[in-house]
Formats: sequence, C-alpha cells, structure tokens
Amino acid sequence: MRYLPLLLLAAAWEAIVQLGLVSHDLLPSLSEVLKAGWTLLREGDLWANGAASLYRTGLGLLLAIVVGAALGILMAWWRAVDAFLGPLVEALYPMPKSALIPVTVLWLGFGDGSKILLIFLGCMLPVTLGAYNGARSCEQALVWSARSLGASRLGVLWDVVLPSALPELANGVRTALALAFVLLVSSELIVARAGLGYLIGFLGEGGIYDAMFAVVLVVAFLGFFADRLYLLLVKRAFAWRE
Amino acid sequence: MLRLAPWISVLGIALAWEVFARSGAVTPFMLPRLSVVLARIWTDAAAGDLWHHLGLTLYRSLTGFAVAALAGIALGFAVAYNRAARWLLDPLISVGFPMPKIAFLPIITLWLGFHDLSKISMVVFDAIFPVLTATIAATLAVERELLWSARNLGASERELLHEVVFPAALPQIMTGLQVSLPIALIVCIVAEMKLGGVGLGGAMITASRFADSPGVFAGIVEIAVAGYVLVRLMALARARLLAWHPETAAPASV
Amino acid sequence: MVESKETPVKRQILIEGVSHTYRPARGREVRALEDVSLEIEAREFIALLGPSGCGKSTLLYLIGGFLPVEQGAIRIEGAPVAGPGPDRGIVFQHFALFPWKSVRANVRYGLEKLGLAREEQERRAQAYIELVGLKGFEESYPSQLSGGMKQRAALARTLAVDPKMLLMDEPFGALDAQTRSLMQAELSAIWQRRPTTVLFVTHDVQEAVRLAQRVVVMSARPGRVKAIVEVDLDRADPHIYRSSAFAEKVDEIWNLVRDEAIKAQ
Repeated sequence: MRYLPLLLLAAAWEAIVQLGLVSHDLLPSLSEVLKAGWTLLREGDLWANGAASLYRTGLGLLLAIVVGAALGILMAWWRAVDAFLGPLVEALYPMPKSALIPVTVLWLGFGDGSKILLIFLGCMLPVTLGAYNGARSCEQALVWSARSLGASRLGVLWDVVLPSALPELANGVRTALALAFVLLVSSELIVARAGLGYLIGFLGEGGIYDAMFAVVLVVAFLGFFADRLYLLLVKRAFAWRE
Repeated sequence: MLRLAPWISVLGIALAWEVFARSGAVTPFMLPRLSVVLARIWTDAAAGDLWHHLGLTLYRSLTGFAVAALAGIALGFAVAYNRAARWLLDPLISVGFPMPKIAFLPIITLWLGFHDLSKISMVVFDAIFPVLTATIAATLAVERELLWSARNLGASERELLHEVVFPAALPQIMTGLQVSLPIALIVCIVAEMKLGGVGLGGAMITASRFADSPGVFAGIVEIAVAGYVLVRLMALARARLLAWHPETAAPASV
Repeated sequence: MVESKETPVKRQILIEGVSHTYRPARGREVRALEDVSLEIEAREFIALLGPSGCGKSTLLYLIGGFLPVEQGAIRIEGAPVAGPGPDRGIVFQHFALFPWKSVRANVRYGLEKLGLAREEQERRAQAYIELVGLKGFEESYPSQLSGGMKQRAALARTLAVDPKMLLMDEPFGALDAQTRSLMQAELSAIWQRRPTTVLFVTHDVQEAVRLAQRVVVMSARPGRVKAIVEVDLDRADPHIYRSSAFAEKVDEIWNLVRDEAIKAQ
C-alpha cells in the first residue's frame, strides 16, 4: 500500500521512545499521544474547540468562494470592472495574508470575527484568480450557441461562463482550502480564546505535552483529509470532463 | 507604458487609502491615514528600530530559505534517482503538503526553544515542500532523449547529473524556489508573532497589544514591501540563470 | 422604392453592400469582407465556398447577429439583424456542445429558453435526438461521444428550436473523411424531408456541389462574391454523385476557386 511508510514511521516513533532513545518529556510515545487524544475527545474539549475552528473556517471560506467567484467572473466578463479592480487584485497578490492577523485582531478582537475576516480576505484571492482565468477560457462558440438558442446577455453568464469556469475555479478553491487552514491555525495560535490552535497553545503552556501532540496531529490531518475529501467531491462533480 | 501599470495601481490604492481614511467614514484607530503610517515608518527607520526588526526577520527567513533550498534540491534528486527513497518519502510529501505545518510550531518550540533556531527550523519545515516537489517532478521529467544523447556522447553518470539533468530541471526548480521564498518570509513572521520578541512579526503583535494602530499598519506596509522586493529579486535571479530558456521572456509568476 | 410586405418570404435574406473589418486589440486591422451583396430565398440550400480567410465565416456571423453590421445592411424577412436569436440556428465546426450537460440537456436548452412546458420540451428533445440518429445516447456526455455523434447532437439542439434558417460553419471540417461523407448524406436527407434555408460554409468544392442548390464562390481576402453557380442535380438519384454531370460541376467550380486559393496562400 502506498501509505505503508507512514505506518513504518509511526512504528519507529513508538519504538524510539519506548526504547528510551529520546526523552519521553520531549517526545511522548505515540500510544501516550493517542491515549491523551482520546481523553480530550471524551471530555469534550476537542469537540468544543474543533467546532469553533471548523465554524470559522467554513464561514470564512464560504464567503471567500461566493464573493471571489462572482468577482472573478465579473472581472473576466466586463472590461470596465477588470480595469478598475484588476490592479487592486494584482497589488494585493504578493501581500502575505498572515500579516493581517494583528489588524483583524485590532478590528474585531480575539473571537470568531477576526478569524472569519482573516480567512475571508486571505482566501478570496486564489478563488478570484481561478474564477477569472476559468471565465476567460470560456469558448466564444459556446457563448454564441447559447445566444442563438435564446439566452440573454446576462443569462449567458450563468448558463455558460460560470460552468465553463468551474474547473479552474475548483482549483482555486483547493488552494484556498489549504490557505484557510493555515490562516486559521496561525491566528488561533497567536490570538484566540477558543479553537484548536488555541487548545494547542493552552496545553503547551500547561506542560501537557501528550495532549498537545495529539491536537497538533488532529489539526495536521484535518488539513490533509479536507484536501482529499475535496478532491473526491470535485472528481465526481466533474465526471463530464474527458 | 505597460511597465508603469503596476505602479499606477499602487499609487491608486495609496490615494484611495488616504482619501478614505480622511473621509471620516472610519475612525483613525480602524484605519489610520497613510500619511500617518508612512511617517511612523520614517521615524522607526530613523531610530534604527525598523532595520533592527527587518534585519532579524530577513536573517531568519533567508537562512531558513537557504537551508530549505539546498536540502530540498538535494533530497529531491535523491528521491528522483532512488526507488527506495521515493517509496519512503512520497507518502510523507503528499500527506505533508496540504497540512497546515504551522501547527507544528509548538512542538518545534518545545524541542528547540524560543530563539532563532526554532524560528529558522519552522521556516525550513514549511519552505522545503515546494522545493522538494518541484525538484522531484523536474528531475523525473528530464527528457529521455536528452539523457540518451548525452550518454551517447560519452558523459558519465556524474557529469550527466551536473551538465544535463540539473540545467534541464532548473526552470521548474526555480519555480519551486519562487513559490518557497514568500512562504519562508510569512512563516517566519507568524512564528515571530507567536514567540514575540524582536522581528517584524514580534513588533506587529506588540503593537496590536498596545492598540498601536499606526504601528500595526506600518508593519503591514513593511512586510508587503519586503515581500515585493524579495519576489522581484527572485525573478531577476531567474532571468539571469535561465537566460537561455525560451520562457525567460515571460517568467512564471508566483 | 417601397418594400412591399406582400413580397413573399422568397427573399428571406437580403445582404446589401456588406463590408466588415476586424479591429483586434493588438495588431493590424483586417478587412474581411468587401461590398458583398446576396439574395437568398426561403428553403434554399446555399453553400458559401472559398479559400481560408475569405470571410465566409464572417458573413455567417454577421447574418447570425454575433458581429455588428457596420457597413451595408442585412435584412431577414425585411427586418434588419439585431443580434442573435433562435430564428437563426448556428452549427459550429467544433460542435460547441455544453460539455457539462448530457445530450438530452443540450438539446433541451433552447427549448427551455423558449419557455415551453416541460412535457413539450421532453417530447421535442426526444424527437430530434431520434431524428439525428442518437437514440439511446440521451444521457451521454459530449466527452463520451465520437466526432460525428457530437455534430449530430449539435444539429439536434439547433433544429429543436425550429429555426427559420440554419447557419453552418464548416460543420464537418473536424470529422474524418468517412464520417464526413456519412454526415453529408444525412444532412441532405434531413433537408429533403424538412426543407429549411441553409447557409453552409465550406472550403471543400465537392461538399458544396453535393449539398447545395447554389454555390456562392468567394474571392480571397478581402472577400467579395466572385461568382454564383447553380447546381441543378437530381439529388433523389443515388448514383448522381458518380455521374459526369457531378464531376463537371465540380470542375467548373474548382476552376473558379483555384486562383483564389492560390492568392490566399
């Protein structure tokens, strides 16, 4: 199986701690970590903080996708919008979004709001770019066919341009998804009172390292599984592609 | 005229910022005027604080980037050439890629402390992935015909690596490096924000704790400029190194 | 001169002194058409024939309303062209099927736009899918179809809205020779069953003679009408395509085209 090396890694981890090669204060054994994780799950800490994190990520991403896609398609379709907003998008592109963490905190404090805003602002860019490129690649013949079959000028945007843009938009959303997790964890590690990132910091400061490791792994694999799940959904949705 | 376009847009944003901030639609706390922010940057520069913070951040991020680059390329070649290495590392890379690796910062801090070493290590951990994947893909993709011609002309395995594979793979590796550099910068800044102290990230988070709004915005501008300069330098380096490549006319944008 | 509304739909399409210039955002202007005038009767099958770049597709797009008429006039049954519409169906060389819709959904698209009742949409769509010989492939996606099948689907989609005329832009150009031959025969058969005005753009002389009643030969760029040749063949006769009458007609037209083709090189 392709992922066998990961199992080997896990086994090696357990082994080197059990054998005393590494101090178990620095690196709790895998079994200890799993046990601590299970306790967290049972006691509800994982759920409560996990829910907060997922809520923030979900809402921020949703807003980014809806606004970003609409923006990208409008920019691709109307020169005027492109001329006005294009330079703005270009100038903001190289700006590292995590640098906005202190600003969002300044504006909205330590709660959900600052995280959602951060994710919304940060993730909008790859979505807009994907929608823009996707819409531009829409074939003229498709638009003309739709028009000759009775579609209005606006109707064409919805009937033809948006579906044509979907594959590249989906790519942009994939990037945004990974970015959302990074922004979430970053901001929760630094400026939060709830959430998985906050939980990691809290456990670390309290010296409860086995639980801390557990949550780190949860977060890391959350990002991984979200990506895989997304790919699966996209594959099904785009079954019509060659 | 086209080359001025990005400057025009920056100017436009600057103007819009100043006008909007003056309009009274938002408080000076929420959005200080650009003129105030720029003045703040100036005073920080004059006092030497700016250079202190900037210098440290650049030192940490660029060191991390350099290590990530060298290790990533070396490892990438090793993986591409060695079946066993590929089997071992491929799942690690594909699982690691979409992970928010910043989550490992507390673990790194536990192992390596609160100072430069942990920040640099965090940078390496995050920045190595794009370089690795680019190197592996590029090396595997080097056209067979290129290799066969070279072997045919008498090149040894080692010469092959240096003289054929590396140049052929270079464009894609460069792209990986171009993706990796901004990552190095921002990861460093986030680590600094978490761990506090000196550095652009630390300074910004301190400013936000003191509700020092101009300080926070000054930090944003400084980081944006630093990021922009680094990206431009990378693009220049790419153009130089890849002068022979047809794509140099339109380099891959990041 | 008063345009009598009683003049029956004989002169269905009236093209008067039409010229067209392409003005791309970058690069030089291209004069595609120069002072083209043409009269087309209802239910005529016309071929627009000429070398690459002679503007024949451009003329089609102008009639279709996809490009604005800047010089000259184009009238459909007396009224000037004001944009695309279901009265002028278009069929493209690369099929232009919506790849995310099944064959059935593609064919139903125009019917939805017409606002027909759902059962009527389904009935008509099914009828046209069967007309073009795609029964059984209603739920297939374009990526699953061969070139010939895609073109049939595109044809069904266009015919379903019952257009007054068919604008066909080298519709068989992307098909292999055998499929092309079959499709020509099918198109001819469909047209004979339900005659409708057809404007068929092609660069293939044989194809033009095979399908059309009149062949409009166009010059190299900028496109002008060089000649209009009547093709008076008995299409009911299955052997007509091997007859000397056919070959002579092809020769006659090829002689007109050859010089233009050389100029276009």
